Amino acid sequence: MGKTLLVARLAARDIRRHKAQAILLLLAITAAATTLVLGLALDGVTNQPYQQTRAATNGPDLVASYGVNILCPGKVPCLVSAVQVQADTSALTHLGGVTRYSGPYPVASVILRSRGLSVPVQAEGRGQAPASVDQPKLTSGSWVRPGGVVIERTLATALGVGVGDQVTLGGRQFTVAGIAVTAAAAPYPNCQDTDCLFTMRTSNNLSSLNVGLTWVTEADARAMASPQAPLSYVLNLKLKDPAAAPALASQFLSSLGGEGAGMGRGIDSINTWQDISSAAGQLVQDEQSVLQPGALLAVLLAVASVAVLAGGRMAERTRRVGLLKAVGSTPGLVAAVLVAENLALALLAAAAGLVIGWAAAPLITNPGAGLIGTAGAPSITLATIGLTVALALAVALASTLVPSIRAARSSTVSALADSPRPPRRRAALIALSARLPVPLLLGIRMAAGRMRRAVLGAASIAVTSAGIVALLTFRATVDHNLGPTAGQVGDPVITRDTQMLAVLTVVLIALAVLNAVCTAWATVLDYRRSSALARALGASPRQVSAGVAWAQVLPAVPGTLLGIPLGILLFKIASPGKMIIPPVWWLAAAVLATLAAVALLASIPAHIGTRRPAAEVLQSETA
Amino acid sequence: MQQEAVLALLAKEPAYGYQLRARLQQALGPAGDTMNAGQIYVTLSRLEKAGQVTCEREAGLPDRPDRKVYALTAVGRQRVAAWLADVSWPGPGLAEYHLKLIAAAAARLADPVTIIDAQRRELLRQLRDVQRAAMAEADGSEAGVLLEGIALRLQADLAWLEACEQYWTHHKEDGS
Amino acid sequence: MNDMHGGTCVLRAQGLRKEYGKNGGLVRAVNGVDLEVMAGETVAVMGPSGCGKSTLLYLMGGLDRPTAGEIWLGGKRLDQLSERGLSRLRRDAVGFVFQAFHLMDELTAVENVELPALLAGRAPRAARKKAAELLDRVGLADRARFLPTALSGGQRQRVAVARALVADPQVVLADEPTGNLDSAATVEVLRLFDRLHTAGQTLVIVTHDPRVAATADRMISMRDGAFTDQTRLQGGTTGRLGNLAGLEG
Repeated sequence: MGKTLLVARLAARDIRRHKAQAILLLLAITAAATTLVLGLALDGVTNQPYQQTRAATNGPDLVASYGVNILCPGKVPCLVSAVQVQADTSALTHLGGVTRYSGPYPVASVILRSRGLSVPVQAEGRGQAPASVDQPKLTSGSWVRPGGVVIERTLATALGVGVGDQVTLGGRQFTVAGIAVTAAAAPYPNCQDTDCLFTMRTSNNLSSLNVGLTWVTEADARAMASPQAPLSYVLNLKLKDPAAAPALASQFLSSLGGEGAGMGRGIDSINTWQDISSAAGQLVQDEQSVLQPGALLAVLLAVASVAVLAGGRMAERTRRVGLLKAVGSTPGLVAAVLVAENLALALLAAAAGLVIGWAAAPLITNPGAGLIGTAGAPSITLATIGLTVALALAVALASTLVPSIRAARSSTVSALADSPRPPRRRAALIALSARLPVPLLLGIRMAAGRMRRAVLGAASIAVTSAGIVALLTFRATVDHNLGPTAGQVGDPVITRDTQMLAVLTVVLIALAVLNAVCTAWATVLDYRRSSALARALGASPRQVSAGVAWAQVLPAVPGTLLGIPLGILLFKIASPGKMIIPPVWWLAAAVLATLAAVALLASIPAHIGTRRPAAEVLQSETA
Repeated sequence: MQQEAVLALLAKEPAYGYQLRARLQQALGPAGDTMNAGQIYVTLSRLEKAGQVTCEREAGLPDRPDRKVYALTAVGRQRVAAWLADVSWPGPGLAEYHLKLIAAAAARLADPVTIIDAQRRELLRQLRDVQRAAMAEADGSEAGVLLEGIALRLQADLAWLEACEQYWTHHKEDGS
Repeated sequence: MNDMHGGTCVLRAQGLRKEYGKNGGLVRAVNGVDLEVMAGETVAVMGPSGCGKSTLLYLMGGLDRPTAGEIWLGGKRLDQLSERGLSRLRRDAVGFVFQAFHLMDELTAVENVELPALLAGRAPRAARKKAAELLDRVGLADRARFLPTALSGGQRQRVAVARALVADPQVVLADEPTGNLDSAATVEVLRLFDRLHTAGQTLVIVTHDPRVAATADRMISMRDGAFTDQTRLQGGTTGRLGNLAGLEG
């Protein structure tokens, strides 16, 4: 017991003495932990919002979309006779297991225009009375009326319209009567993944856009039909056994002779609530596919920062280790003290990361506006806690365990006599640097003397650079895919993804700044003696601080360049599919900006370091 | 017992024999273990014969050396002054030099620090001479190693003088 | 004005003061020092540890700024120069020798010596040539390509002296140059200083070793930040070497 207390006391005192470093270490691990928590929370987001919407709207178990044969060749789709439609309706409603149904509702395919934006939408014709299955729940305004249109919530947000605004549907003026959510179709823009059928054959521009969902009165819907855009019908079915929906759907289709035959008959799709639910959840998954590689990046960067910090602290610990051993501590005790400090910080950081992640998660997991409620305080499950703590510990241990053990095993005498490890000599670099201007001379010699630190710095820059390049690649790909964007509604998913990626990049950059400052500070400390000596021998303070800055910029160059292929690779992993490489000048600008930032961040501690009189440093150093 | 040391102890004021002995014992401490009781009286009687010290017997006290009163004569005083100013080296043994400083402080004849400084200057000059001589010798000459010995002793003496200076700067004796 | 060497005053300090801390914790490291060093002179400053002699030296070499007082080096006023001006001065007018040598461990002897010249912007080839000459002058021509870890203490300090000379400085300032050396190495370094003195180099040495002080023309005692004594050390000894060796006569 006494030993544990002793270890705790020594560790605590040490942390108190080096508060700044401890805080930086804490921040780095917290950032990593937070990102991990967010990533895991997203992973755990369940279908609950969809379930809530389903319950609130009496959501259907099966949704059939039919009445138009869109496969037939020619400029316009082929109509299906009214008799056929009735027969289909009857067949569907009489399927085994169907308890209730609503519809068939006529659906018109029109272009919605608002403030210069155009979206193809379905205008579903509804009555005033609430339907028994699928009555969309209003989140604002009122239900359909002649001349009034209710817009699905995500679409409304994407368009930026509210109740009372004027829009055009199919050339006619409508007022936005209300905004609602439904469980019968996935929120914009994923609606068409399930059942939003657009019958109008348009030029390529519009056909690549996502289809939205609106509701109007039945009369308005029928009025909007035209030969080019015939009406289709939608039928909502409720089953005795909702779980049986997929089986029932496939049974029905095969009874028709397959999907193709069905389409020939005008039956476009039979969607189960499971399909709709997953399409609704797709939004979240898309965000995940961005967040997770990003979280991985952030974690890597945090690890790099911590390693640099911890490695820097290790150098100063050597003498303390020697002292502890000289007064009788076993190597085990010594290692325990060193590790205990980092563990304490790591646990604190894990806790902080969990709290911040829990608070911030709702922002991330809000699965678009199209479903009621948020994903709920995403369960911080036991697994999340466990993983986060494990990560924090792993990060702390990994960067300190080896140096701790090495320090504990080293010879006491050499540890006591310690000065920081003398730099290794690299003759070629020394000879080369002699021919260069003074700041470069100093910078090259400093960097060459501490290769490990230079490599670590380059690695963390590479990670940041990769993140930025991934973002640029995403941007380039999206721009290309969307084509000319004037007058068109942004894909909310892509917008959200871009936002996510931007947030991640900000986190990455913050971490990278943190890392750069730590590296810079550690470098300045490492080179305290060389800098003081260089000043004593006649270098001006400006030359010396420039030299220290160069010592970090030089390794940052290969780091930044390495980040380019890394970033592209990262994007490819996160989002397989067509990828557009960003233009060269974007990449060049990113490289230059990163290097400039490194130079700036490096020069500040360097400048501060040169303010200390050389005499102080030289007098306090041993040979 | 060097005569000058005894003379110097009388410089402040006349003293009984036993008082002189006590003063010596206090100054020398354990280093006075080789001094036996009678030595100082032998020295005092020699000094009396040389006319540098007078000796009186107080009425009513036994005729023993420790009960007699001793005092400096003018000649004795002169001798003390010359002794204090002398910087020749090798100087007196450590005990005598130590007593010189004590006596100078007690009798307010001179500031011990001044005495020490003067001696140090002299020793430094001598050290310089020795070092020049040593550097002029070829490497590994016989004489060289002797000169090294001289230099090392001078160094040791200088180190002690510095310790004395430290002490006397902080201690102003106001008489025993 | 003493003109032992008939000459110009290379280094002059007046009313020099350096204080640290404040109020209760005020430490007067240098407390009102006046000093003049003439060209070609060797001056030794002796004193116990903590008396401020190293601080004084660092002030004179422009490595630290005084709290009060004036310093002139080669006619230029030091205490009013900017950091950049000071660095130029350190480069061209002052050579420093430290107790801890302060050589760069990853540079060979000749690379260490040429460094101040490179920092001053001299051509690499000229700097290398000068460095090699100086190493020869201090007797280490055959060790030019050795790393400091392969050199003995005395050899390292000699390299440091060569480095201090590479810019042909007006004065060489040495802070306890033999502090980390044993007896034999001390003699090496003293010989070197003696040769420099003969060649006319101005030297200011701070030391607590009397052997080092004894090589000087003038010795100054320092205590508690102030000078207490000054002595010219030439000649005038009363004793003879034989007496010192224990021979009667």
